[in-house]
Amino acid sequence: MNTGWSSRLWTVFGKEIKDHARDRRSLTLALIYPMLGPLLVAAGLYMAGNTLQANYRQRPLDIPAVGMENAPALAAYFSKHNIHIVKAPNKDQVRRLAVRKGRLPVVLVVPKQALENSNFTVELITNLGRADNLRATARLAEVIGLYNDDIAKDLARAAGLAKDYARSVKMKKINVARDANIAVFFYNMMPPLIIFMIFLGGVHLAIDTTVGERERGALEPLLLAPVERWVLLLAKSGAALGFTILTTLVNLSAFKIFMGLAAGTSTTLVSPPGLGIFLAVLLISLPLMCIAVAMQMSISVITKSMKEAQIYLGLLPLVPALPGMVLVFQPINPTNFTVAMPVFGQMLLIGQLIAEQTLNPFHVVIATISTFTASAAIFWLAARWFQREKMFVLG
Amino acid sequence: MIDVQDLTKTFDDVHALDGLSFCAEDGRVTGLIGPNGAGKTTAFRIVYGLLASDTGWAKVDGVDVAENRMEAQRNLGVLPDVRGLYPRLTAREHIRYFGQLHGASGPELEADINDLINRLGMQEFADRRAKGFSRGQELKVALGRAMVHRPKNLILDEPTNGLDVMSSRAVRALIEEMKAQGHCILISSHIMSEVSTLCDHLVIAAHGRLIAQGTPDHLRTLAGVDDLEEVFVRLLMKVGALHGAAA
Repeated sequence: MNTGWSSRLWTVFGKEIKDHARDRRSLTLALIYPMLGPLLVAAGLYMAGNTLQANYRQRPLDIPAVGMENAPALAAYFSKHNIHIVKAPNKDQVRRLAVRKGRLPVVLVVPKQALENSNFTVELITNLGRADNLRATARLAEVIGLYNDDIAKDLARAAGLAKDYARSVKMKKINVARDANIAVFFYNMMPPLIIFMIFLGGVHLAIDTTVGERERGALEPLLLAPVERWVLLLAKSGAALGFTILTTLVNLSAFKIFMGLAAGTSTTLVSPPGLGIFLAVLLISLPLMCIAVAMQMSISVITKSMKEAQIYLGLLPLVPALPGMVLVFQPINPTNFTVAMPVFGQMLLIGQLIAEQTLNPFHVVIATISTFTASAAIFWLAARWFQREKMFVLG
Repeated sequence: MIDVQDLTKTFDDVHALDGLSFCAEDGRVTGLIGPNGAGKTTAFRIVYGLLASDTGWAKVDGVDVAENRMEAQRNLGVLPDVRGLYPRLTAREHIRYFGQLHGASGPELEADINDLINRLGMQEFADRRAKGFSRGQELKVALGRAMVHRPKNLILDEPTNGLDVMSSRAVRALIEEMKAQGHCILISSHIMSEVSTLCDHLVIAAHGRLIAQGTPDHLRTLAGVDDLEEVFVRLLMKVGALHGAAA
C-alpha cells in the first residue's frame, strides 16, 4: 500500500475541496461576497449615467424665482424650453441660505427694471459645490444665453443687418467625452477590487485547513498518516487556490454582467470591456492567485490561533489594493522594471487590459515569472514553518 | 514491536522526558501509565513521529522513527487523546480518507471500511456527518481511522474514555482480539480496572522517567499490595513522584 506523493496530494486536495464545498462560510465567501463589489460599482455607474446623461436638457426643470412677472417674455421663453418657474422665498437671506443648504438648487432674481428696460441683469443664486446645483445653473445659463441670441437676431433683423451681426464668434459644443469618461472612471475601479477579491478568496480555507485544524485537534491525526508535510501543505494550498479561482471567476462575471447592465441604461455610456478581456484578466491573475495563497498559507502556519490569523489575513488584501486605488487616479505606464515587481506587475497589466490597451508580451512574461517565483519562495518558507513541532501540538 | 530507549525531550525549561525507556512487544498489551505530566503523551508523539526527541530513539518494528518517519507510520495505528474529526465528513468518509492516505483504494478498501463499521458497531451513524457525534461515536470513528490500514502496532490513548459500558466492553474485546492476532498494543489509561484487565505488561512513568515496569503480578509483589491502583500510588510515592495524593 505504498503509493507516490502525487496520489497522496490528490487525496488531501480532494478531501479539502469536498469538506469546504459543504461549508456555508466557504461558499458564501466564494459565491456571494465577490458579487458585492461589482454591484456597488455598477450602482455607482448607473447613478452617474442617470445624473449626467445627455437628454438632461430635455427634462422638465423647476427653477425657483422672484420677480419673474417683471420679464414675461423671458418667462415664456423658459416655459418653451421646459423650465418651469416656481415661487422662491422673498427675503434675500432666506433664499441664499436655502441654496447654501441645498434645499433649493438655484434661485433666479429678476429686477423690477426688467419691466421697463429690455437690458437688465438677473441674479443667479447658486451653490457650485453641489452637483445638482451645477446642472441647474448650467442649464439656466444656457437658456438665458439662447434667449439673448434670439433677441440679438431680432434686433439685427430689425436694423437690416445680418442675423448673426451681434455674434461674430459662435460656439458649438459636441459632447463626446463627459459620459464616456464617467464610465471609464468606474471601469478603472475594477482592477483594485479584482485584486482585493483575489487576496480574499482563499483566506477562509487557508486558515481553516491549517491553524483551524490545529485548534480543533484535527491536524495531529492527519500527521499520523505517512504523508510528506510539504505535500500536505501543497494540497491544502491547491484547495485554497481552487476557491480563489472560483471567487475570481464569480467576481469577473459579476463585473461583466452588472457593469454591462448599468452601462446599458444609457445610450451614451461606453460599454464595459468585452468577454475576451475578462478572460485575459483571469489568466494574467493566475500568478497573483498563487502568491495570494502562498502568503495566506505562510501567515496561517505561523499564527497561534484562528483569531490571530483572521486579523492578519483580513489586512492582507489591503496591501495590494491600496496601490491599486492610487493607480485609478494616477496611472503609471508599465516598464520592464515596474512589471518585474511581484503583484504590482499584474496590477499594471490588469489596469492596461481594463483600459483596453494592448499588452506588451514581454511585460506579461516578466510579470508572470516574477510573481510565480515570489510565490514559490513564499510557499517554500511556509512549508519550512509547517515542519515546526509547535505547528502540530495543541497547548 | 515498539521500542523506546533513553528518550529525553525538553520544551523551553520543562523536562518532559528524562531518559524514558520501555519496550512494547508483539502479541501483548502494554500499558504506559503515570500521573498527569509524566510524559506519556510526549513519548507517544515521539513514537508516532510528531515530535523529535532530544536524545535517544524510538523504533517501530525496527524502523527508527526519526530516520524514516513515514515507514514507521505505515506500521502504526494511533488513537490520539484528541480525536479531531472533520465535522462535515461522514464517519465512512473519515475512514476512507485515512485508508487512501495509507495508499489503499478500490473494493478492497471499501470492504475493509465495511468490516470496521460492523466490528465497531458504527452501522447507525456510518453515513452521518460527524458534527454532533457523541464522544463514544467520535472515538469509534477515530478507532476505525487508526485501524483501516491494518497496522501491526497500535497506540491507543485513553481508548475507552467517554464510552458507555457496552461500548467500553466492545473496545476491550477488540483489543483482546488484536492481541490474539499478534498485534503490538500500547495503551495509556487512567482507569486502573481497565489497565488491570487488559494489560500484560505495565510501564509506570513519572517526571519523564521510568519508575517501574513488569507484569501486573510482578508490580504487585514489588509494592506488596494486591490492588493495582494501590500499587501505582505506592510506587509513585516511593520515588517521591506523587505529592499530596494520599494513599
